[in-house]
Amino acid sequence: MSLVPGSSAPHVAVEGFDGPLDLLLEMVEEKRIDILTVRLGDLADEYLARVRALAALPAAEVAEFLALASRLVLLKARSLLPSLAPDLPVEEGESEEDLRARIIEYATTRERAAALGDKLRAGSRAFHREGGASVTDLPPRGGDSGALAAAWAKVLALAAMGQREEDLVAPGERYSVEQRTGEIEALVALHDTLTFGTLLGDRPTLGFAIVTFIGLLDLYRRLVIEIAQDELFGEITIMRKTARMTAVDAPAPESA
Amino acid sequence: MTRSPNAIAIEAVLFVAEKPVSQAELAKIAGASPRAIEAALIELEAHYEDTGLRLQHEGDDWQIVTAPETARFVAAYLGADRLRVSSASLETLAVVAYRQPVTRAEVEAIRGVNCDQTIYTLMSRRLIEERGRRETPGRPIEYGTTWEFLECFGLTSLEGLPRVITPEGQVRLPE
Repeated sequence: MSLVPGSSAPHVAVEGFDGPLDLLLEMVEEKRIDILTVRLGDLADEYLARVRALAALPAAEVAEFLALASRLVLLKARSLLPSLAPDLPVEEGESEEDLRARIIEYATTRERAAALGDKLRAGSRAFHREGGASVTDLPPRGGDSGALAAAWAKVLALAAMGQREEDLVAPGERYSVEQRTGEIEALVALHDTLTFGTLLGDRPTLGFAIVTFIGLLDLYRRLVIEIAQDELFGEITIMRKTARMTAVDAPAPESA
Repeated sequence: MTRSPNAIAIEAVLFVAEKPVSQAELAKIAGASPRAIEAALIELEAHYEDTGLRLQHEGDDWQIVTAPETARFVAAYLGADRLRVSSASLETLAVVAYRQPVTRAEVEAIRGVNCDQTIYTLMSRRLIEERGRRETPGRPIEYGTTWEFLECFGLTSLEGLPRVITPEGQVRLPE
């Protein structure tokens, strides 16, 4: 702070000094006045007495007084206690240059944080494409419209037979999954390879188809069969797995 | 303007990708050289300038994101709330963003305070993440910013971090 003629700083009068407070501070800082000789208590008392005598509190002036006076207090405290730590703790072995670099680094960090805060408040953010269904399985690989059309034609042909589900008294409707699974297992034991179409017969009902399919899934889970479907909507082939399983389960030949 | 086949291929792949795709992967998919892919990415980046999309990258990984100017519309559609970060967390985030990869001790050395809580908060908001461990005594965890950080601050890459003036009047670039 530099003193200019006509300073607006509060006027103070203590032993050895009479004038604006900022001039006093400047003279102390320049060591033209020994801070130890300035009675800060008297200075504060004198100023407070003057302020109390005023009709209204000069807020701006009081604020300036506090700022200037507190610096004088700090200077006096440091004169009285030379070992008093400076503003920022200096680590052991940290040079003044290091400390200065650290202060600059932190000030820069605050600036950067403020700049990031401004960006955040501006709300100009980006969004990326959110999750959704995995695209690795959809659409099914190898799909073609011809196969779909063939499957639909098959459905239409079944519908054209004129029998509705409720009109049929299909044996499958009376079957439990366990029964049907047992039947399929027996068939697979006789024939190494079967097709899903064979298992369904000529006029399958929805219920029979479902029971058959669940039976197949159960056998597959139990490693009794292998299932293959070479193309979409194509025939499902069921193969007995016993032979391979036997081979796997067979004890390894003993080494000589 | 007609775009090159590589740029078109890259755009299609990045459009369906749910996560950033590396330049090497793009080169493999497009059957092009890394240099050709780099040129195509620059081409695509320029193409997006006047659109509602941007190309965002961190290192060699790329993704398509919405343009920051469209944020309020997209946020309205997604029902996204505006992110709020305390000033203490912003300071920690600034250290991590500009000095990454950085350890907690380094953040604390700069800020001069314990940063456990702010690091936890920033991690839980997915603004920073662990980047591995530094091969020094104690093997401290190193932290870096995330893709979400780039998105939340509307940055296309870390090179876009705001430049600030130091107390000494120097322009500080991201380090």
